[in-house]
Amino acid sequence: MADTGVVTDDEFVVDESRRKLLLTATAATGALGVAFAAAPFIASWTPSERAQALGLPTELDLAPLEAGQMTVTVWRKQPIYVVHRTADMVATLGNHQALLKDPQSSDSEQPAYAANRTRSRTPEYLVLVGTCTHLGCLPKAHFEPHDPEIGAYWPGGWLCPCHGSRFDLAGRVFEGSPASVNLRVPPYAFAGPRKLVIGVDQV
Amino acid sequence: MSVEVHPPGAPPVKTGRLRAWFYKRFPIEEFISDQLTGYYAPKNFNFWYYFGVLSLVVLVLQLFTGIFLTMFYKVGEATSFSSVEFIMREVDYGWLIRYLHSTGASAFFLVVYLHMFRALLYGSYKAPRELLWIIGMVVYLALMAEAFFGYVLPWGNMSYWAAQVIVNVFGTIPAIGPGLVEWIRGDYGIADATLNRFFALHVVAVPLALLLLVMLHLVALRRTGSSNPDGIEIKDHLGPDGHPIDGIPFHPYYTIKDTVGVGVFLVVFSIVVFFVPTFGGYLLEPANFEMANPLSTPPEITPSWYLTPYYAILRGIPNQRLGALLLLLAILAYFFLPWLDRSPVKSMRYKGWLSRTFLALFVIAFLGLIYAGQHGVEPIYVLIGRVCTVLYFAYFVLMPWYTRIERVKPAPDRLRFRAHA
Amino acid sequence: MLDRLNVVPLARKTSRVVLAALLGCVLAVQANAASESASSPAAAATSASAADSSSAAASESSAPAEAFGSNWEGWRSGNSVADLDSLQRGARDFLNYCNGCHSLKYMRYSRIGQDLQIPPDLLQKDLVPATRKPTDYIQTPMPEQDAVAWFGKQPPDLSLMARERGTDYIYRFLTTFYVDTSRPTGANNLQLPTTAMPDVLSELEGLKRAVFRTEMVNGTKTQVFDHFEMVASGSLTREQYDGFVRDIVNFLDYVGEPAQAHRRALGVWVVLFLLVFTWIAYLLKKEYWKDVH
Repeated sequence: MADTGVVTDDEFVVDESRRKLLLTATAATGALGVAFAAAPFIASWTPSERAQALGLPTELDLAPLEAGQMTVTVWRKQPIYVVHRTADMVATLGNHQALLKDPQSSDSEQPAYAANRTRSRTPEYLVLVGTCTHLGCLPKAHFEPHDPEIGAYWPGGWLCPCHGSRFDLAGRVFEGSPASVNLRVPPYAFAGPRKLVIGVDQV
Repeated sequence: MSVEVHPPGAPPVKTGRLRAWFYKRFPIEEFISDQLTGYYAPKNFNFWYYFGVLSLVVLVLQLFTGIFLTMFYKVGEATSFSSVEFIMREVDYGWLIRYLHSTGASAFFLVVYLHMFRALLYGSYKAPRELLWIIGMVVYLALMAEAFFGYVLPWGNMSYWAAQVIVNVFGTIPAIGPGLVEWIRGDYGIADATLNRFFALHVVAVPLALLLLVMLHLVALRRTGSSNPDGIEIKDHLGPDGHPIDGIPFHPYYTIKDTVGVGVFLVVFSIVVFFVPTFGGYLLEPANFEMANPLSTPPEITPSWYLTPYYAILRGIPNQRLGALLLLLAILAYFFLPWLDRSPVKSMRYKGWLSRTFLALFVIAFLGLIYAGQHGVEPIYVLIGRVCTVLYFAYFVLMPWYTRIERVKPAPDRLRFRAHA
Repeated sequence: MLDRLNVVPLARKTSRVVLAALLGCVLAVQANAASESASSPAAAATSASAADSSSAAASESSAPAEAFGSNWEGWRSGNSVADLDSLQRGARDFLNYCNGCHSLKYMRYSRIGQDLQIPPDLLQKDLVPATRKPTDYIQTPMPEQDAVAWFGKQPPDLSLMARERGTDYIYRFLTTFYVDTSRPTGANNLQLPTTAMPDVLSELEGLKRAVFRTEMVNGTKTQVFDHFEMVASGSLTREQYDGFVRDIVNFLDYVGEPAQAHRRALGVWVVLFLLVFTWIAYLLKKEYWKDVH
């Protein structure tokens, strides 16, 4: 070994602790550098300015929406169901608590102002994200109570065609559905008695 | 991650269970001992020997930034240009990814040219490394193709017209020329079809080819071992342990030394990326900030600086066909170097003054061709281009003569090495 | 000889020389910029809100018209994208005076608001047209068909003009219009002769005429530009108009690359970090290479 380019004779003692220190310092700084360098690339995946611009709140005029009717609009690429509930529809909401998985909506996603009996700011209008909480299909509206296809207990609501999940007129999921949580309520606010803005908590 | 140095002959270190499981199933340990700690490289590598590893670094950089650009770029006549502006303005840090890629392209060529220059300086192309050199030249060709295809993708006005001109060069090939040009273009002019196929070639085909070629290049290097500034073979003098006396294990000595080299390179690279990304118009031409316009040619159509030497050679000849032929010969000349060089010694350190002069003239000629090619067809630039073309070819054509007749100094038996400060 | 480069001591010497040279360059550029802005038609730019000035500028005296502009080819924009006030004025002035024909199709109003620190309500009130949202791209109300009919071509989008032609070009373009009755627009331009653009800023700048002289160029008698003379004053003084143009050019410089301020700021940290890393790696290298004799 004495003849190789690497010297290991007795006059020269390798300062192992210094080497270890410098190795650690270099590796640590290098790792920090890699983390800093990775940051812009990871950031580039966040929604671009264009996506953000297109993801602005959606406005909806509620005047044409008749009582008992539902309309579908879009916010941030998601379908949004807006229902103009009749007094009868609202009255059914307390009658089938035992049939629901989460009648108090304690596990589901909704803003604070929708954490109530009707899951909405006002009983008259219901705003839901029209995406089944099972695997993402669009639930179909079945507002007719006691619908023979579904059962005598049926108060009205939605039935998802993909795997059969059922939701009531506040978007709460029925027992026996593959879905485990209630339909989500997006942030929304009223810019006037008949003007809905979806995507913000206040206008 | 800790670097473990195993001085040859030291007792083996106890390995953990997970590592042992892995080692049994994958030849990592052998790889480390064969290619890193057991690969002995000459101890006298100097400044010129950084550029191989730097080429690898830039390759990785280009692949990585290129992949990210492809996530946002939308290829198509109507969308390419605006998608690049989308990246520059609306994607978080998109501007940084773009500048890294555009600066990286030029950095790649700078580093590769310096890497090739090292070979000219120290005769690294001579036996037994001729194949290594040839594979390297094929890498260079692939790199030029990659750069050309990539430059068209932003679909700026210079992209369009440079594509027009370079593709038309193929039209000079006798008989098949015009048909070939239409076949390359996929249309009657540079169009959406051309852009789309160049995209596929730039993003998938040529990078795969480059990766393969670079691997072959490294495998060939491993076989012969690296040459060195003195041009002698360190394997001629083996120590009692079977390793070259004048060699040192690549790991840790050159892994650590190259880290410093990479650091310095990144400093210079970052200064360009963050402070002068257009570099006075050499890295991002002003004409390319205007969308491709078939009805309006830029005042001067020139390829990027790294391709201009060959462009200047092409333009110097008034006959289109001969110009194209000369361009081809200018690139092919490199392939013959190992056999043109008849010197008994490898390294410029021991060659005579004729070799040094011709190499110096070659470098001046190459720089002159870059300069001339960047400008228009005014007489002065054409003249410079022609003079430099002559000097360029003189280096190759006269090499069998001047390397044989000159008086050389005897190459030393052992490496000349001065301990580092 | 290249071959025997001993890099480290060379690097030490070189870095001292380079730092000194950089310092010298910076000082030279500062001095140069100061002298060049003096060679423009007006001396130091003012910070007065030029476009708001409705008071009549100092009218031309009855003395013979002053000659200026012979050195127009050396005029520089001398702008600084770090000057936020200038950018804000430029944004307002561009949208008021230029947007009627020229779009900035890669730029959103909201981005300008963000970068130039303009509060959203002010942005909506002063800069965003009533029918548009702040996140909209900045289009022009000029219909393309009409533009082609009136000017022969659509006025170009200006998002990238500063990167394509440079700020000096735009500055010279906006300051070298002169009266030319032979042109359909009644105006011509020294930077871009026979431009299709009319002298839309004449209400601010006033009108000037170009005086030519005859010279022998390559054996033929040619008309060579000599100097400008004002023939009518506008609502701005020469200094005010100059500041107005510089603000717009500055704004277009920013629009060409909105991320440039962020880029330079980030760059300082990146380079510093890399210098530290390289230094530590170098110490490591020196330590290990003690082994090698």
